[in-house]
Amino acid sequence: MTAIAEDDRPSSLWRDAWKRLRRNRLAVIGLFIIAILVIVAAFGPWMSPYDFLSQNLDARNQPPSGLHWLGTDDLGRDVLSRLIYGARTAFLVAVGVTVAAVLIGVVLGAIAGFYGGAFDRFVMWFTDMTMSVPQLLLVVVINASLKQPISLWMEARYMETLNPIWRNSAIIDFVLVFGSMALITWPPYARLVRAQVLSVRGRPYVTAARALGLTNRIILMRYVLPNAMGPLIVAVSAGLGTAMVLESAFSFLGVGVTPPTPSWGNMISDGLRVWTNYPHLLLAPAAVLAVVTVAFNFLGDGLNDALNPKGQK
Amino acid sequence: MTALLDIRGLTIDIARDGGPARVVDGIDLAIQQGESVGIVGESGCGKSLTMLSLVGLLPNRIRATGGSAMFGGRDLLKLGPKELRKVRGSEIGFIFQDPMTSLNPVIRVGDQIAEALIWQKGLAKEAAQARAVELLELVGIPGPAERARAWPHELSGGMRQRVMIAMGLAGHPRLLIADEPTTALDVTIQAQIVDLVRELKDKMQMAVVWITHDLALIAGLADRIAVLYAGTVVEDAPVSAIFERPTHPYTRGLLASLPTLAGAAMERLPSIGGTPPEPGRRPPGCPFAPRCAHAVAACAEAVPRLAPVPGSDPRHRVACPVMTERAAA
Amino acid sequence: MFAYILRRFILWVPSVLLVMLAVYALAFYGAGDPIKLIFLRAPGDVAYDPAKIEAIRDQAGLNRPFIVQFGGYIWNLLQGNFGNSLVSGRSVWAMVKAAAPVSFQLGLCAILVTAIVAIPLGMIAGLRQNSRLDYIILGTAVALWAIPAYVAGPLLMVLLLAVLPDGSVPYGWGGIFSVKVLLPLIVLSFQPIALILRQTRAAVIEVMSEDYVRTARAKGVPELVVALRHILRPVLTPVVTQLGLIMITIVNGAIFVELVFGLPGLGRLTVSALTNSDFPVILAITLIGSFLVMLSNLLVDLLYPLLDPRAADAKGAR
Repeated sequence: MTAIAEDDRPSSLWRDAWKRLRRNRLAVIGLFIIAILVIVAAFGPWMSPYDFLSQNLDARNQPPSGLHWLGTDDLGRDVLSRLIYGARTAFLVAVGVTVAAVLIGVVLGAIAGFYGGAFDRFVMWFTDMTMSVPQLLLVVVINASLKQPISLWMEARYMETLNPIWRNSAIIDFVLVFGSMALITWPPYARLVRAQVLSVRGRPYVTAARALGLTNRIILMRYVLPNAMGPLIVAVSAGLGTAMVLESAFSFLGVGVTPPTPSWGNMISDGLRVWTNYPHLLLAPAAVLAVVTVAFNFLGDGLNDALNPKGQK
Repeated sequence: MTALLDIRGLTIDIARDGGPARVVDGIDLAIQQGESVGIVGESGCGKSLTMLSLVGLLPNRIRATGGSAMFGGRDLLKLGPKELRKVRGSEIGFIFQDPMTSLNPVIRVGDQIAEALIWQKGLAKEAAQARAVELLELVGIPGPAERARAWPHELSGGMRQRVMIAMGLAGHPRLLIADEPTTALDVTIQAQIVDLVRELKDKMQMAVVWITHDLALIAGLADRIAVLYAGTVVEDAPVSAIFERPTHPYTRGLLASLPTLAGAAMERLPSIGGTPPEPGRRPPGCPFAPRCAHAVAACAEAVPRLAPVPGSDPRHRVACPVMTERAAA
Repeated sequence: MFAYILRRFILWVPSVLLVMLAVYALAFYGAGDPIKLIFLRAPGDVAYDPAKIEAIRDQAGLNRPFIVQFGGYIWNLLQGNFGNSLVSGRSVWAMVKAAAPVSFQLGLCAILVTAIVAIPLGMIAGLRQNSRLDYIILGTAVALWAIPAYVAGPLLMVLLLAVLPDGSVPYGWGGIFSVKVLLPLIVLSFQPIALILRQTRAAVIEVMSEDYVRTARAKGVPELVVALRHILRPVLTPVVTQLGLIMITIVNGAIFVELVFGLPGLGRLTVSALTNSDFPVILAITLIGSFLVMLSNLLVDLLYPLLDPRAADAKGAR
């Protein structure tokens, strides 16, 4: 009886969850696609057939062919190569934004939930507020109004120092795009962590830990946060997908990652201008973005089922 | 006289990843017309599942896989969903354990009772609501007309359990199954609820099955007691025989662990060592053998069958060859 | 009841003021001087003369301290004056009034479509959890969620182009009852449908394991009645709450849908105001958007006691 042999192994929450996750076919597919994304993002420069910037004005807007598997864009750049470089941007955006948002959310949510009081009320009021204005609008305003002054300021720094780092437009992009995206995505994490903390705080083992004289910080780190991990992981996995979609929305509105740095978002918005004549320029990046977003969602749903087995009954 | 309900060789399995695990393992149990039977056992011994399986209310992944349950000339286990629905409520009524969670929070209590009448008796809405008020009065709820318009959360636990009883009786069933109806209630309320069911049983001439782990409660209620252990009936006897001549070691253990007024106050109550086997990991032979002080080598070989206890009531049967032999000696 | 609405409104005011302050500050310190922007845009008409600009700034009160200017803006706002567009010089209120009906009608219809499509499908998926039907419904919902409106729009247009014989793609606004509205409405509803559908499914699965559903079955109530009465009604409570929160998704989505399908609504007004740094317009739209979201949350709160009698009592006790 293999089943019994397996059951006899010391089982931990995480191992059980992993077992359940592996059984979920959609989640495994999602995980597989995400693994490919990570590999492509890491080794993209060695994998892409062309340089993503090299233009070939003799071969513009070509349909897919043996030479250019996914065709070329309006400047004769290879679409496949740009997609591969775009994976790097997408990965950076997803991870950067989510890490920033989770950090803000976890810290504020945990403190608010654990200590309560005025700080708690303030954090909740603030999250309520940011969740009840059309955030996209707010972020676009932030981007639209800050981009120019910051690039002017950086240009001035360059003139002073002649350090080429001040001329790297990617920095502004990432700081601004990441920053403003993190700004609108952290409140849900804060609420989630706060709710978890509140539900754990009153449990007998936390009271017991307090009776043993442990400090608040230790109780928070050792007892409270680990309990919030499950729901948080699920939220993060969905958040990674959301961040990618958000970046493409920004690009569509002209405040995303600045060209020529390729992002799937700005490829989609470029494609939208010419899609009636060259549909492949829209379809290729849109399909890639959709597949990756769906993958993150599948994984998120799978994680949700694996980490909260109660819902499966 | 044929039994009202005759369960033979019932088996129930839980679907698991490593294959099905057996929770109920060949239960034989007959209930006579108008009889009051207590089914006693630890949680997880399959007592609730046995009763739920009769009317097709088993949770997902749990299924009755063998045996028969004759009721009114039909095998309940072979009925389709439509026919089973007609059995529920109008022939077999249920009262569940937790009145806090067993009433729908967003439907008025009168409507919840009326609903049973609409679907079982085909009553019109007004007639059903009028009857619901009568039923509330029957179960001793003061101001039944106003209470019918109340939401479940506006009633106390005892009141809610009375509503549950009214619902269980609405279809005038021949068999009422009370699944631990008092465990979630205060002790003082417990007695009221028990008395109410007993009184209604006589008034409506139903058979009642009490599912409980509380031997003391059942002593004054039941005509007969069936003791379940790990999905099998280990002892089945009239109440007096169970208390006067408990024969199965498990039954003895249960009785010994009851506190008595006569016992010394500071003395520790005896308890049965060990835990019941998990479903799917039942030892071969007698399931109780690993915990049994009287076990002999033969106990681990064959599953014991219910057999009459020599010298006791003719209806007293026990599934323990060792004890049967001793009684005969 | 009235006091409750009033209290909610009073709580909303400071948050919207803060948001408007933030937008105003961004406009003031970030995008720069509106007068200069006008001159930059129309360099041919007026010579760029710093002294002249200063004079105009002084006259328009733009040299006053920030807080005074913001106060002035709010003061005008309270009197119903939204100011004038920096680009066209038209009254912002008139611009908004022209654009709002398009967006409002579209948004309301989208919520309606969402409720009608998502709740039944979510119910079916939940009741048949882990069946093939469940996987198909859920998979479609996830796919809909992942495809942004600005991609789904053009793709659907390609499809229509191939199907329609005369090759006419619906574009522009012909009133809410025109056939042209169908495509934008569908695209705008995609994400809300996906969200509500998943929420409904999850709630159904949770409610199905409740004791009271077993009680209903034990009473001999038919399955269909169990589903529609005993499962659907408790499920509606969280789902309607989510329907209120969906307003933000629709306000955000409208921006893209109106742009893609050429609808003259608030979304398109927003984008053109953003590209032109037309801050009075942006401020007005922020205010309206935030008001709508607050309103929908309030509506949900008022609906809540009707859906859940326990909530009615809790409110009465307050």
